[in-house]
Amino acid sequence: MIARAGLALGAVAAVTAPWWVANPYHLHVLIMAGVFTILALSLNLLLGYTGQLSLGHAAFFGIGAYTSALLSLPPLQWSFWLALPAAALASGLAGWGIGRLALKLRGAYFVLVTISFAGVISLVSINWMELTNGPLGLPGVPPPSLGPWTLRTKSAYWYLVLATAALAYFVCHRLVGSRIGRAFVALRENEPLAESVGIDGTRYLVLAAVISAAMAGVGGSLYAHYTRFVSPEVFLFSYTVTMVIMVIAGGQGTLAGPVVGALLFTALPEALREAMAWQWQMLAYGVILIVCVFFLPRGIVPAIVATTRRTDRAAGGPPEMRSGSVGLFKKRRGSDSRS
Amino acid sequence: MLTRVLSTALVALVMLVVVPAGDAQAPIKIGVIEPLSGPVAASGNYVRMGAEIARDWINAKGGVNGRKIELVIEDNKSDPKEAASAAEKLIVRDKVPAIMGAWGSSMTLAAMPKLEEYGVPMVVETSSAASVTKRGNPWVFRISPPSEMEALGLEQYIDKLGVKKADFLAVNTDWGRGSIQAFGDMLKKKGVQVGAAEFMEQAATDMNAQITKIKATGADTLFLTTAVEQITLVLKQGQEQRLTRKVITTGGSSSPTQLIKQAGAAAEGSYHIVFFMPWFPEAMPDGKLAKAFVDEWTKRGNPFEGLTEGFRGHDGIATIVEAIKIAGKDEPKAIQDALWKVSFTGVNGPIKFEKDGPAGKESGQSKPSIFVVQVRDGKVALPDFMKK
Amino acid sequence: MDQLLQHLVNGLVLGGTYALLGIGLTLIFGLMSVVNFAHGEFYTLGAYAAFATLALAGLPFFVALLAAIAAGAALGALTERALLRPLRGHSIDTIMLVMIGVWIVMQNAELLAWGGVARSIPHPFPTAPLSLGPLNIAPLRLFVVVTAAVLIVLAWLAIQKTRLGTAMRATFQDRETAALMGVPIARIHTITFAFGSALAAAAGALLGPVFLAYPSMGDLASLKAFSVVILGGLGNFAGATLGGLLLGVAEELGAGYISSGYRDAVGFVAIILVLLFRPAGLFARAERIG
Repeated sequence: MIARAGLALGAVAAVTAPWWVANPYHLHVLIMAGVFTILALSLNLLLGYTGQLSLGHAAFFGIGAYTSALLSLPPLQWSFWLALPAAALASGLAGWGIGRLALKLRGAYFVLVTISFAGVISLVSINWMELTNGPLGLPGVPPPSLGPWTLRTKSAYWYLVLATAALAYFVCHRLVGSRIGRAFVALRENEPLAESVGIDGTRYLVLAAVISAAMAGVGGSLYAHYTRFVSPEVFLFSYTVTMVIMVIAGGQGTLAGPVVGALLFTALPEALREAMAWQWQMLAYGVILIVCVFFLPRGIVPAIVATTRRTDRAAGGPPEMRSGSVGLFKKRRGSDSRS
Repeated sequence: MLTRVLSTALVALVMLVVVPAGDAQAPIKIGVIEPLSGPVAASGNYVRMGAEIARDWINAKGGVNGRKIELVIEDNKSDPKEAASAAEKLIVRDKVPAIMGAWGSSMTLAAMPKLEEYGVPMVVETSSAASVTKRGNPWVFRISPPSEMEALGLEQYIDKLGVKKADFLAVNTDWGRGSIQAFGDMLKKKGVQVGAAEFMEQAATDMNAQITKIKATGADTLFLTTAVEQITLVLKQGQEQRLTRKVITTGGSSSPTQLIKQAGAAAEGSYHIVFFMPWFPEAMPDGKLAKAFVDEWTKRGNPFEGLTEGFRGHDGIATIVEAIKIAGKDEPKAIQDALWKVSFTGVNGPIKFEKDGPAGKESGQSKPSIFVVQVRDGKVALPDFMKK
Repeated sequence: MDQLLQHLVNGLVLGGTYALLGIGLTLIFGLMSVVNFAHGEFYTLGAYAAFATLALAGLPFFVALLAAIAAGAALGALTERALLRPLRGHSIDTIMLVMIGVWIVMQNAELLAWGGVARSIPHPFPTAPLSLGPLNIAPLRLFVVVTAAVLIVLAWLAIQKTRLGTAMRATFQDRETAALMGVPIARIHTITFAFGSALAAAAGALLGPVFLAYPSMGDLASLKAFSVVILGGLGNFAGATLGGLLLGVAEELGAGYISSGYRDAVGFVAIILVLLFRPAGLFARAERIG
């Protein structure tokens, strides 16, 4: 119940954001949080649901950003609405490549392949001057336009990001609840057992990699058209680390976890920027991270869920059972009770 | 009696209204965006130190237009995304009417769309990529030289240096690549043969492979473009591999003093393009100002080797303040107009902006002074051909 | 031919340093399953400890090495006690996240303490290189490789031949049985982490004078160390050593013959190729799945 109310409140707040947000800078932070939500959700598919860690996720983000930017700049000058799906396609293809490459690899070996892949892509973006303009980057990426209207204002861009993030969440939600999602979880919990009942580990891993990468590519495209400047720094390892922090601290394997993680860890550095001098900002960030993990080792969302369960139990059961009336929304329980 | 009470009340009332509206006594804020953490933290911090000296000097003289100035300093963490965020925060939250930044060319380029979005001018103090002033952004004013200007500054000395065939070794960033491009073009014009063009990653510490390749070209000169830490490593590793040729560093970030300290004998004989000569400040266009800057810097306990970069911070702030003085108010558009009228001498030399870039949307580019120094007998000296 | 030999020599020296980084991590990651993103920070710590000892206190080189090892061990033990022990039993990802936090805190603390300027660490060796025909190698580098080799052998002996080492191996092979046999599990964990961190610090103290000391020097080191560990097999000493050497040589040859810009890419591609054909690393011990 609390979850439903929270979700509704959040939705209302999000949709009306441009009105109550104090100033354009805060809206800027929200937009970046929205982009990172999409990225965190995508990483969560791999990490939280199939249990495989991709430490090269910035590669998919960057491929999406570069593809979208290159297609919409001269000489091609594609419309944003074509460049975005193209970016998703390019990243998805890269994800497929990783999946196929990693084939029989699991655990640490898979991680190493993702790191190496990201490393290679990063170096290509720096050195292949003819394609990417190397370290000089691609300035002047055009904002999205639809006929005569250009999404140049922040509010307009916010709605675009919000809609895409909502779509990403929806896709994850459906995926997780479907047979495919259950296969992911089965593979994560016990791969040999899953294989023995006929779930092809490699095929599902590749599928997860493709969807995850494509989603990250969408995030990259949105980023490129908002900041209007793409440079090899999008492949920085620190972006991957940030995504990992968001997913794990938020609560991997849950759907709300990456969203909460993305909001929190996008807002945190900006809040620290306002709160203290530059020398202390990152130090405080690290300390806060350690404290967060220490006290909420399973993530923020699972901790909240656990607390509500406890208060429910103390009150005699979840609200539906307490009052005797049948709940309006049936809670769906999969093999993993975290939703 | 009544009149006395009334007049006192009136005076009190007037004071209540007038004095707080001496909110015009609130300091003028100037934004500063530099890489204060990350791989180039040293350089960013030197620029910050120079900016702080400028601020204190100006405030000691009473500030500008009767108000003191205050620096709002942000760290761009050597990341273009952060540079853009920092610019936005400075403009929207701190309401700065002008900014200085953002050191690296990609960081500056990332922040530039924000300048146009909100209409706030930025003085670029270090970035060297040509594109910074060619993008048609009328809010950009650069006091540092693009690589092309640097190469032109060296052109007159090429014959005197005796360069017949040259190799390049540069850091794999916009700065390094731009430098190779610019100097390569200049050398070809002078009929100098270009041998190898090698790169090193920004964080790389082992350049032995590149040095081995360079040794094999038989060139007589090596142009080196990177930050002082990597220059130190290249010189040391070059010494280990017995690389014997003329070394010329470009970009002004070579901090010869630090090089001598850290590379020792390996730095002997090397030439360096710098934009400030703290070892002989009297030779600078405004000798007195340069000397005063060096003295103040040393007095604060700042490392001497930082002077070759710290002056940029001073000149950047001084430029903005000069524009505010001309404009008469701290309003972004007025400052932008005033920047075109600025003409004074900073630590580096005369600062005056010329139009650069596409017509109608020109950025401002000043023509800074360029110097060449040499390391001789463990000290920094003017090369013979530069002595008058 | 001359160039090839010089490249090989360069590669071996570089690889020796990668090996040193790898063996500390193979204990922590391979045996303890801790994804230690802060490993590079202990490397940095060692370099700064050496700087403090040599440049500020003016003590001899061996003292600097010992100081670094002590600092690494002490801070490693503290980290394990304070952060890892309470979180034992939690998922590997949670532990990884804590170590990411430690990474951020340590690096920024170093930035605050020492400033962003790179420090040159003085050393007692002559700078003139030794020449063997067409090959050149600096005395300092030779010393580093030799010392690294000695440290690796000492570490191996400690793990294979001492009671402590046996206890460590027992703990990570089968915890319950080891506990039943009276092995103080908690203390072994602390000691192992301290041991691995001390090795990283030693690497930093040795390599600091070769290059320079600066706060972000550990980032690349961490990444290379992980590659070396995984390639060589988790927990496999010899594997980490050989993996390090091979990575160094591959990078050096790639930079020399293919392109210096793509230098690191060669290492990455080599890793991908190795994992394609030997999915369990170079020294597979039946770790395959599926």
